[in-house]
Amino acid sequence: MDNPLHPFELHPLVQLSLFGVDISLNKAVLMMWLVITLVAVVFILAGSSPRMVPTKLQNLAEMFVEFIRGMILDTIGQQGMRFFPFLATLFLFILFCNLLGLIPGSYTVTSQIAVTAAFALFVYGMSLVVGFALHGVKFLGILVPGGTPMWMLPLMIPIEVVSQLARPLSLAVRLFANMTAGHTVLAVLFGMALSLPLLIGWLPFVVTVAINGLEVFIAFIQAYIFTILTCVYLGDAITLHGHAEHAH
Amino acid sequence: MPQFDTHFFSSLIFWEIVSFGILLWVLYKYAFPPILETLETRERRIKESLEQAERHRAEAERKLREYEAKLSAAGREAEAVLARAQDRAQRLMEENEQRLLAEAERIKGDAASEIEHERRKAIQEIRAQTTELALLVAEKVVGRSLNDADHRRLADEALQAVAEHHGERGSGVEGEM
Repeated sequence: MDNPLHPFELHPLVQLSLFGVDISLNKAVLMMWLVITLVAVVFILAGSSPRMVPTKLQNLAEMFVEFIRGMILDTIGQQGMRFFPFLATLFLFILFCNLLGLIPGSYTVTSQIAVTAAFALFVYGMSLVVGFALHGVKFLGILVPGGTPMWMLPLMIPIEVVSQLARPLSLAVRLFANMTAGHTVLAVLFGMALSLPLLIGWLPFVVTVAINGLEVFIAFIQAYIFTILTCVYLGDAITLHGHAEHAH
Repeated sequence: MPQFDTHFFSSLIFWEIVSFGILLWVLYKYAFPPILETLETRERRIKESLEQAERHRAEAERKLREYEAKLSAAGREAEAVLARAQDRAQRLMEENEQRLLAEAERIKGDAASEIEHERRKAIQEIRAQTTELALLVAEKVVGRSLNDADHRRLADEALQAVAEHHGERGSGVEGEM
């Protein structure tokens, strides 16, 4: 039986380096290129000849745009629409990485902790930058939940600091772990199906079919969770939700 | 786990940033604006259509009320016309009746006066004949002849006396002589 973690291994295909930093191409990088090409083609086609009564592709793109817009309006409000292009691209990038990774023989980019961590840190860093840019020092009020009594501050501030630091960590680990776990389970079940005699080997195979369906669902859910949490963090930074009046 | 092999981190993160950046730029530049614009246009158009429909509905309702008012006014008008017509017909009928009655009365009156006239004529004739007869008889009785004018006057005086004695009819007879 193969090592079930074997599908996550990467091998440099083309050795490249930039200012001494290794930027070699590998399967994950090729998948990223495939993802952005696919998304760009689909969305440019969808928006290329807009009609009042939409075509199927246009309808799909519009549904997606409405979905992201609804998410932003619900969590941030109208002022969050400035981040629409970023959030929509984030969702599409993660979703297509998750989905294309389900094709046998391809590679799941989002099962790389480096990739998810980079996204998580960028998103969290962006929320901090937006918060300080909009509110200055007052943004530190985000560390004090509304209505906290003065004497509780020495306790509350460290707790809130930890919860803030947990944000990028949980964001990164959640996506990475979900993708890794799903593919590992699939790999294990496939391994069983191949190594067991046909008499009972069909059973794990049937389960892989079911798990694959579940994985499609998880691909959507994880992209959604990542994006909506980004919205929530940005929303906290923009509106200082419930903290503003108790900031001092 | 192969994912913790830091050997690939730099290339993964580098290409992730590049890929994501390119995708963001392409979508921001070429894909999202037409889609968002279409959505907004459609939203606006739907809103306008709804507003227009609402306006049309209000207009239709207003017209309906207007027509209903007109209709009921027309109904009242028709009723008034009918009432007036009935009234007039009634009046005409009454007038006609009265006219006919008057006409009948007049005809009756005419007939009565005619009859009266004929009667008087008849009486006068009778009286004349009677006078002549009396003269004839008197001539025979008296045995002598008076001239015609004389005895006619005498007879008349005698008759007048009789008539006055008897009452009303005498004067009328005298007038006609």
